[in-house]
Amino acid sequence: SGELYCSLPNPRNVRFESVNMKNVLHWLAPEGTGDGVLYKVKYAVYGVGKWIRKPECRNINRTWCDLSSETSDYEEQYYASVKAFLNGTCSDWMETTRFNPLTDTKIDPPMVSVSSTDRSISIILTAPEKWKGSPEEDSISLLQVYPGLQYNVSVLNKKTKKRWLFSISNNTLVVPWLEPGTAYCVSAQIHVTTPLLDSGFSKEYCITTLKDK
Amino acid sequence: TCRVSMSLAEIRAAFTAIKANIQARDPIRTLSILSHPHSLHKVKSADRCCITHQLLTFYVDKVFKHCRTEDSFVNRKISSIANSFLSARRRLGQCHEQNNCMCGEESTEKFKQILANYEELNVTSAAMKSLGELDILLDWMDKSR
Amino acid sequence: LPAPQSISILSTNMKHFLTWSPVIVQGATVRYSVEFQGEYEREYTNGSWIPISECSLTTATLCNITEDISATVAYKLRVRAQLGATSSPWATTKGFFSPAMTSLTPPELRVVADGHHVLVELADMGSSFQFRVLYWRKGQESRVQQKVMKGLSSVVHLDTVEAGAEYCVKAQTHVEAINRSSSFSPTQCVRAQGDTSMWLVTAL
Repeated sequence: SGELYCSLPNPRNVRFESVNMKNVLHWLAPEGTGDGVLYKVKYAVYGVGKWIRKPECRNINRTWCDLSSETSDYEEQYYASVKAFLNGTCSDWMETTRFNPLTDTKIDPPMVSVSSTDRSISIILTAPEKWKGSPEEDSISLLQVYPGLQYNVSVLNKKTKKRWLFSISNNTLVVPWLEPGTAYCVSAQIHVTTPLLDSGFSKEYCITTLKDK
Repeated sequence: TCRVSMSLAEIRAAFTAIKANIQARDPIRTLSILSHPHSLHKVKSADRCCITHQLLTFYVDKVFKHCRTEDSFVNRKISSIANSFLSARRRLGQCHEQNNCMCGEESTEKFKQILANYEELNVTSAAMKSLGELDILLDWMDKSR
Repeated sequence: LPAPQSISILSTNMKHFLTWSPVIVQGATVRYSVEFQGEYEREYTNGSWIPISECSLTTATLCNITEDISATVAYKLRVRAQLGATSSPWATTKGFFSPAMTSLTPPELRVVADGHHVLVELADMGSSFQFRVLYWRKGQESRVQQKVMKGLSSVVHLDTVEAGAEYCVKAQTHVEAINRSSSFSPTQCVRAQGDTSMWLVTAL
């Protein structure tokens, strides 16, 4: 690739970090190099013959590069690679392991909205959306990507300190026959059985049932 | 229609445990056995049963036995996956015999391409690459269940 | 060095163990090594055997083979004794073993009534288990309702029920990989507290 001899230490720990299929390449600067190191990035679709340069990540001094749009087809798998430059010398290309967006992404917790009457609380859950390049693009819910997606919902009665767990497939849950004037805290998690992917639990959303009329 | 009763979760867990090890043994980025030039995801639903049966047979006959490594843990996981495939193929085979799992022209063509990709490499490299692509197969089987 | 005797497989709830009698050599520590062979190994790799590293040169006379005996096919297992450089002949299990032969015990079930809500707590038995929970109002045995639940490790909401009524619950496990279920747990009945009692409490 034009560089005759590369004696610079290599970038380290080159890997994809992915959340909701926002796929960002990260790496650590070569050992022992101070400021001034620049990098360039290329990527390849596994099974297709060529490496493709990422112009926006050419001669950059940061240690990450967003490859979300280049890796947005989650039916494909990818490799990415980074090369470092400093004072006229360079490192080798350092590659990631094979990246599978479908199994190697992390999923955010669902959004939770809670409303109440005097005797019940209604919970609406919204799965996160797959990353998209621009607001104009159509949104794809992770529900479409993972058809077997389920929700685990935790409901805590603040008075009795009892926590109940619900496991549901649709995104709404009504819990009737509750105690009036009582605070309930709700949090929810996404559970996908295969591939095995669990989000963390969302933060708690607390609401108090109305007082008895 | 034929339903492949196969605990994909267990096979995935076994494969995930050895995925990095197996894929690291495959240095060839420019060739895929399963996903290029034809993607499994483009297989029509009518052809799914036949392609699944052919692929289970492909892995049982041509892949697992050429993947023995020096690593005992990896060998045990490969055995677990291989025996699960054997069990699944037997169940699907019964369906195949009752002609509920017909092979159309397109699926036959697609499977020929997979074999052609496989034959481009020597046996061990082709088998190791095929094993490293198991998540491509499992992703497709998951989606088409 | 004699081969180990009375080797057998103990399998409950998809946890499988190989056991054997110890080989006694006065004043010496005898070690054992275990290997397994699945149907694939018999048919496609000339009957090769695969060592279980956790049970290689072990002094125990028990080996957890659960991780390796994972497919629904016929397996064989063997164990031999080793003392220094000397090894005994292999002792091989007489017939075949398949996970489908495991014995399934009813789940441990705890039923709780909390206001109008009936909840169940079921000990998590691993990802290959599902729980089939049946519940009905006492006296209406013909109107049984069912819920299928995956692995659980906390108090799960079963249903919201009528005030003051007594509800009965029983459960069984189901393992999809071997398409078998356990017998049912003993039935437990709880009374859902109703508004009156709630009102009484409030009034007091």
